[in-house]
Amino acid sequence: MSAATRTRLLLTIVPLFAAVVLLQARQDPIIREIRGNEKTPLIGLSNEFIMGPMLGLGQAVAGVLWVRADEFFHEGDYDAILPLVRMITWLDPHQLDVYITGAWHLAYNFTDSSERSDRRYLPAAQALLREGFYNNPEVYDIAFELGWQNSDKIKNYYEAEKWFREATKRSTTDDQGRKQPAPMFTWHQVAHSLARQGLIDESIATWRHVLSLTEERLKKAQARKDPQAWSVANVRANELHNLTLTLKRKFSRFTHEIDFVIDGKQTKSVDMQTGRPSPPNCYLATRPGEGVPIGQPRPPALSRPWETAFDARVTFPEPMVMEPRGDFVMGDGARVTIRLHDADWRPTQLKEFTFRVDQTQTIMVDQHSVRNYGWGRKIDMSRDPKMYSFSKPEYFLVFEFDPRGTSPFIQDRTGWCGEGMTDKRYLFVKRQENPKAPPVRLIRKVFRLTRDHVLNGKPVTDADVVPNAEYARIMGEQAL
Amino acid sequence: MVTMAIARQTLEDMLRRKILLILLIVGVGMIALGPSVGFLTPRESSAVLRSLGLAVILIAGLLITVISSIQVIPTEIERRTIYTVLSKPVQRYQFVLGKFLGGIMTVFVMIAAMGIVFLGVLFWHEKAFAPDMLKGVVMTFCQMMLLGALTIFFSTFAPPVVNFFLSFGLFVVGNLSTVTESLTSNRNPVTAILAKIVHYSIPNFGNFNMQNKLIHPEIVIKNETVFLTQNIVYAVLYSAVLLVLAILVFDKREV
Repeated sequence: MSAATRTRLLLTIVPLFAAVVLLQARQDPIIREIRGNEKTPLIGLSNEFIMGPMLGLGQAVAGVLWVRADEFFHEGDYDAILPLVRMITWLDPHQLDVYITGAWHLAYNFTDSSERSDRRYLPAAQALLREGFYNNPEVYDIAFELGWQNSDKIKNYYEAEKWFREATKRSTTDDQGRKQPAPMFTWHQVAHSLARQGLIDESIATWRHVLSLTEERLKKAQARKDPQAWSVANVRANELHNLTLTLKRKFSRFTHEIDFVIDGKQTKSVDMQTGRPSPPNCYLATRPGEGVPIGQPRPPALSRPWETAFDARVTFPEPMVMEPRGDFVMGDGARVTIRLHDADWRPTQLKEFTFRVDQTQTIMVDQHSVRNYGWGRKIDMSRDPKMYSFSKPEYFLVFEFDPRGTSPFIQDRTGWCGEGMTDKRYLFVKRQENPKAPPVRLIRKVFRLTRDHVLNGKPVTDADVVPNAEYARIMGEQAL
Repeated sequence: MVTMAIARQTLEDMLRRKILLILLIVGVGMIALGPSVGFLTPRESSAVLRSLGLAVILIAGLLITVISSIQVIPTEIERRTIYTVLSKPVQRYQFVLGKFLGGIMTVFVMIAAMGIVFLGVLFWHEKAFAPDMLKGVVMTFCQMMLLGALTIFFSTFAPPVVNFFLSFGLFVVGNLSTVTESLTSNRNPVTAILAKIVHYSIPNFGNFNMQNKLIHPEIVIKNETVFLTQNIVYAVLYSAVLLVLAILVFDKREV
């Protein structure tokens, strides 16, 4: 090769390499977008997996690790799953099921020997889901799970409503990879969480909105002869049922009667089988402006609020074995929540996900059902010293009935937020987290305990009772 | 013509090598066995199957590329067959280009075979054709083309063992392109400058990794066509740079 050719070839490299650098600069922002919050956790990976991420096979390693985590799950080895969940979500931050299943394990599957879940993991479960949500802001799945955990486990219905609403704004993908709106059950949960907060008119409005959306979907599905149209029709029927039920409950709970009108005719009943108004030539207003329910919210029921005559007593017959008993004039099946926690414990939110919990913290939550106006049974915490270390000097023992989360047949007596119940000694009224929601009327009795009570059986007396207002102040609640 | 003749002869030679055929059979077998890890939910199972399939193609492709490119020139020199070739009216650049093209054609045949099996397995498992996966297979081929050019360049002056570690090491560093890219905005100016030099000068194999998008359909790349086109152009241009360098080095080499 001549010197001139060599020089020409060398000179060719310059523009070629400049183009390469330019292309790389153009690719970087796109790659940053695709990779999101992927991390390469080389330190935590075992030898057989460590090469994977270095060769650009992070997702494949994540897949294999998830298969292994699934095996651990079936073996009941939940402790082994958590580090894997951390690794997988670093390697592949788009594995939605890993976030959801990992958070489910944290919130539900770490239990004591009596199947009471370990509440210390709840902030970690929430933090994991929030991390998943921020890494996958386009899809509804994780927002829905956050809503569900807040509704089902934490009983924070305002927070639940917020996350369910986030879920409704997001999308899902069908079998062909096409974007679809979030499933209708995200909307259903918005309506349910509104009802749990006592925001009944808002709940009814949501059911009506949902029904209109589904009817539109049904029309489209029928027009294109979609075989799934029957499924949409089923959803529509269930939504109509829920709307009817909420309307019925609204009028029955607030006015102790139901009336709807059409063509000047009035009905005072709803068919319990079909949920339809009776007589049948009347109908419920399922759309705004379609028939006007004349039973607008009326003055409260004529009957006086129900006196629950609540009381709670507790003994410690053995160290770390508690025997609470109590009275509660409420229908069978109402549930009294028992919460024993360190005096310095407060509900917290983790900034970043970690599955390591403070092992010195003690928090026990249980629920006892009311039978024949009484409740209570033995709670043995002595078999789980890792979960209940009782290493702090003082504790609060709370007995509580919250009408918001109770069964509908109990709410028929108490109302959504306890409007229909009262208690001479232990009624406690507080503001809800949602400023638009009505105040909630709880029944609550709180004791302040020491290690002497829990470990040495010192008798718990009324002198240990903490006034509700004081406990609310300590816990940062807004008493009314 | 001469270049293509050398390429064809190299391809025929490669396809007769048992080691490459064994790698192909193992790759195809692993892809076919993918659905056996199907104890998960449908979404998880699909994600695992897709990621494993793409991973097998990448690993098998990587081994095939390195093995086929690492020895083409040194073997010719060692067996002294290069004298026969170069004594004919064959230019050295034609020889280098022919060897590169032959190696890449081999890789293409192998990756295409695994890609077809992968798409077939996905079709059988998901009851739907997944054309998106083709993009992943094409990106893997581009990655291998770049790696092939790099290996050919090293083979013009380094013995096979040194070449293996150099190529493999650069492949690993190139795959950590997101790390080098994040270091370019480091507060320490020296680190930032060094990171910039590394990031823009080494072949960034991590560019071609779009598994996220392929495994999780909900991830949308705003300018996917631009992304794919730029990647292909990047692979072609960088390979061209490496081949020019290889030609220049090989031209001066005593054989």
